[in-house]
Amino acid sequence: MKHTLQQVFRSSKFVTGFCIFAAILMVVIFYPLFVPNPPLEIIAQGSFFPPGTYVSTYDTVFSSKAYTLNLTDAATKRIAAKLGDQERNDIKEYLMLVGVPEDQIDSTNTILLLDLWEKNYDPTKKISGMIFSKVRYFERLNKSLDGLLSEEGLILASPNIDTGTLEQVGIINLSDYVNIKEVASVRTLPLGTDNFGRDVLTQLVKATSVSLMIGLIAGLIATFIGLVLGLLSGYVGGMLDDIIMFITNLFTVIPSFVLLILISYSVGQEHRGAVMVAAVIGFTSWVWTTRAVRSQVISLRNRDHVNLSKLSGHSIGYIITHDILPYIASYVVMALILQISSAILAEASLSILGLGPKTSEVPTLGLMMNWAMIYQAQILGKWWAYFPVLLVIAMITFSMNLMNTGLDQVFNPALRD
Amino acid sequence: MGKVILEVNELTTKYITRFNEDVYAVDHVSLKVEEGKSLGIAGESGCGKSTLALSLMGYYFAPLHYTSGEIIIDGQNITGMHPDTVRKSILGNEIAYIPQAAMNALNPTQKIINFIEDVVQAHDPKVSKKEIYELARERFEVLGLPKEVLQRYPVELSGGMKQRTVIATSVILEPKILIADEPSSALDVTSQKMVIKMLRYMMEKGYVKAMIFITHELPLLYNVTDDIMVMYAGQIVEKGASKQTVFDPIHPYAKGLMGSIIVPESGLKDTKLTAIPGTPPNLKNPPEGCRFAERCKYVQPECKRFPVDMKYVEGDRSYRCIFTEEYLRKAYQND
Amino acid sequence: MKGYRRYFLNKLLWLLVTALFAFILNFTLPRLMPGDPVAAIVARLAQGMSNSTGMKAVYEQYAEQFGTNKPMITQFVLYVSNVFQGNFGASFSQFPRPVIDILKSSVLWTVSLQFPAIIVGWIIGNILGVLAAYIRKGFDKIVMPVSLFISNLPAFGMAVILLVIFAVDLKWFPTSGGYGFDLIPDFSWRFIWSVIVHYQLPFWSIVLIAIGGQAIGMRSMSIYELNADYVKYARFLGIKDYKIVGYVFRNAMLPQITGLALAIGTMVGGALVAEIIFSYPGLGTTLLSAIQGQDYPLISAVTLIITVMVLLANFAIEIIYGLIDPRIKAAQTD
Repeated sequence: MKHTLQQVFRSSKFVTGFCIFAAILMVVIFYPLFVPNPPLEIIAQGSFFPPGTYVSTYDTVFSSKAYTLNLTDAATKRIAAKLGDQERNDIKEYLMLVGVPEDQIDSTNTILLLDLWEKNYDPTKKISGMIFSKVRYFERLNKSLDGLLSEEGLILASPNIDTGTLEQVGIINLSDYVNIKEVASVRTLPLGTDNFGRDVLTQLVKATSVSLMIGLIAGLIATFIGLVLGLLSGYVGGMLDDIIMFITNLFTVIPSFVLLILISYSVGQEHRGAVMVAAVIGFTSWVWTTRAVRSQVISLRNRDHVNLSKLSGHSIGYIITHDILPYIASYVVMALILQISSAILAEASLSILGLGPKTSEVPTLGLMMNWAMIYQAQILGKWWAYFPVLLVIAMITFSMNLMNTGLDQVFNPALRD
Repeated sequence: MGKVILEVNELTTKYITRFNEDVYAVDHVSLKVEEGKSLGIAGESGCGKSTLALSLMGYYFAPLHYTSGEIIIDGQNITGMHPDTVRKSILGNEIAYIPQAAMNALNPTQKIINFIEDVVQAHDPKVSKKEIYELARERFEVLGLPKEVLQRYPVELSGGMKQRTVIATSVILEPKILIADEPSSALDVTSQKMVIKMLRYMMEKGYVKAMIFITHELPLLYNVTDDIMVMYAGQIVEKGASKQTVFDPIHPYAKGLMGSIIVPESGLKDTKLTAIPGTPPNLKNPPEGCRFAERCKYVQPECKRFPVDMKYVEGDRSYRCIFTEEYLRKAYQND
Repeated sequence: MKGYRRYFLNKLLWLLVTALFAFILNFTLPRLMPGDPVAAIVARLAQGMSNSTGMKAVYEQYAEQFGTNKPMITQFVLYVSNVFQGNFGASFSQFPRPVIDILKSSVLWTVSLQFPAIIVGWIIGNILGVLAAYIRKGFDKIVMPVSLFISNLPAFGMAVILLVIFAVDLKWFPTSGGYGFDLIPDFSWRFIWSVIVHYQLPFWSIVLIAIGGQAIGMRSMSIYELNADYVKYARFLGIKDYKIVGYVFRNAMLPQITGLALAIGTMVGGALVAEIIFSYPGLGTTLLSAIQGQDYPLISAVTLIITVMVLLANFAIEIIYGLIDPRIKAAQTD
């Protein structure tokens, strides 16, 4: 046993796979200790906030201490943030639409450009052919450009309770800064938010653990059924073997995802929890294990040590647990690993079809993918909503298959490099 | 003394494992086979006798690698040759091989005749298919195989038939020496006898000039071969004429090996059945001294000190042990 | 040839048995739901429907089609005979459009997308696999990890990545559909070109997935064959390497054909999901909209058609396999 483990851990493929998988497990276990927020909590009003650190504007203004920093490039940066190449071109396009000759527009000269814009932009003017979203875009653009070149500070005012008039309570100068550590409310969203405004990273970690659990449950169910049927069919043989093989062959050709779809649909949305989905996947994917176990058992059945055990009058149970199982253990472990990774994929495919676990309780990798697809994250370029999910799925299955290939090479010497 | 067909001097080959360890499965082996003679090689499984068979071909592929020594076939040293030259002009027409598992030695999806065509044309592409068919048909008939076999796929043949087909195919180009690696071990007794008869008949007919026969079944060797070599852990431990080596071994391992087999031969009936306890050493790092020392009944401390060399005794025999023949014989009698 | 006929009849019988089984599953699974199945289906349907006359019509049609009050066996016979007449009932979500009408076009799209893609992926994958096994060193080091990673990507993942790179970022191909949304299907060059352009991304995403899996299988199969005794024997008889690779390719290919027969169900499943990513007008997208619309007759018909397609593909592969493997003929004549 110890020797086998040593052999296994000398296989570079196995070790690579094992490390990737262990890293994923570590994150799944330890992340919630540091970020205990509920994964499905809706924190953002609006969808697909990009990754980044979000600082409370209110807290920033009323931060206990303001610092003055005289940074020379602050103004340039401020303008660049509001007025990028895209905006400059849009302004040029608008100006040309309202009849400003092209040679008068220099989109690189900020002052002249804004001057022209102020003179020519009229929100009430209706330009034929311009779609509404564009009209609103220009309204927003105009608002954001307001006071861009101003050197004055921003006045804060609040209404006087007695008179009802606004009174100045403070002024924010262009050179005022706050230290981000002193701002009361800051939230970093490394992977932004999804279509419902939920933190993608927290959700992803939870989804990974749920998907792994689904994989494990489905894999255990499938392996258990496969092992029992394979042992019965291979060791007992005869009629029983014929019957089991007939059923196994039937379920081999009937595509298992069709069964999955039919069963999941029949079960109904209300009853479809994560465990239920795992069970359905497990009950539809045992055929390969049955076949593998059966062929192994048949090749073992007439070995000398098994015959010896039979002659010594041991019971079937004893022979199976002592003379057969130890020899097929490595195959069963490999089959289990394979089952887990394919169950994770099956859950994902099922969820994309809208037959995944019911959506209100926990996220799964498949559900996250499903939401991203429904809200067209891939077409809108919101990569953070789907790419990390895909990456995690690929990493899990890749690491598991690497481990399997490593095991295969240790136990099947013909495949050794 | 007849013409020497195969001469091997100090041949060493090794396996390189996946973890880059060297395993010397054939360690400084020398042997000589004369025209018309046959040599048997015996030993437990894992002693390196099958590896020796592969190594004698002079054509190496991973994980087996050539290290040192020379192989001379009919005066021609093949160890320095380019592998392509060996393939084209040595394999098949100078030296031929019958594999251990003849059951799987034929490509399952090819008719026998097509395989023979490939073999012949690999050495001389100009021979026409018709000529090859005539040659194969004639050779098969001489060796007592129906010509219909040529049009069959291997699955359509019985085990014994497959084995005989393999033998006939191996000698299609009339090689000078044939190396047969346990050609009969998987067969029933009748088929075994037929295979042996066939091999002898081929020597008589002159299809092969000399033969090396590898097996773990000693009685078979005694019947078939002129000389016997006993191998242990990659080395030769005893060499001599068949009868002497089987009935009157000198080396303790050879003695044990003879004793461990039930032989229904007169003269051996009364010998006790004794298995050799223990397992052969790991060839990744073989012991410094005598390799058999760990399992030897007669071991003395000095056995493990230095490498042991072969030594000659009268009657053209040799063995690898630090003790004298007389000492060993006395020890055997005292058991 | 007598042996082959027996093989053929054997496989044909098997096809019929599995098809019958598929019908039974399709018929019984939805009926295993707790409670009254028809009521449950219609209740679920009612969630999405405001038109009460339409709902009543659906209920009546459903009750009639499935003969709910008759014994199970009669219901089953009725169901099978309806299916053979192409009568899958009316769609719930697109009422009163008949299901068969919706399916007709999507089956064609799916078959012409998946069939060529799986075959092309299978062929390229096998060639790469045997090369990786034979050349080992550099080639094996590059091709293997890449195929291993690719084959571990779910089919929809490959589809999404191709979509984002080639359609969204590079804008070389359209993001969705089977043809331009502003076109009406006809035989004009504009339409055909549009179909070809829309075809590329779904096609290659299925091909790439198939390559990955096949290359790995073929590589281990070929390594196994390269270690076989006949390879050693052929080498020692002086046969040239390229001839031996030929033997190995052929022998490793044969199990790959049966492998394809066994894997085709899974491959089709993955490809259906890939269709969804591209909103390709095939069965996958139809299935998705059926599930979203709680359209039971459509779901049932789609799953049945997919199963029958897979069974037929399976049958075809087995028949071809029997023709090229001499061992089949030999085994049957004994």
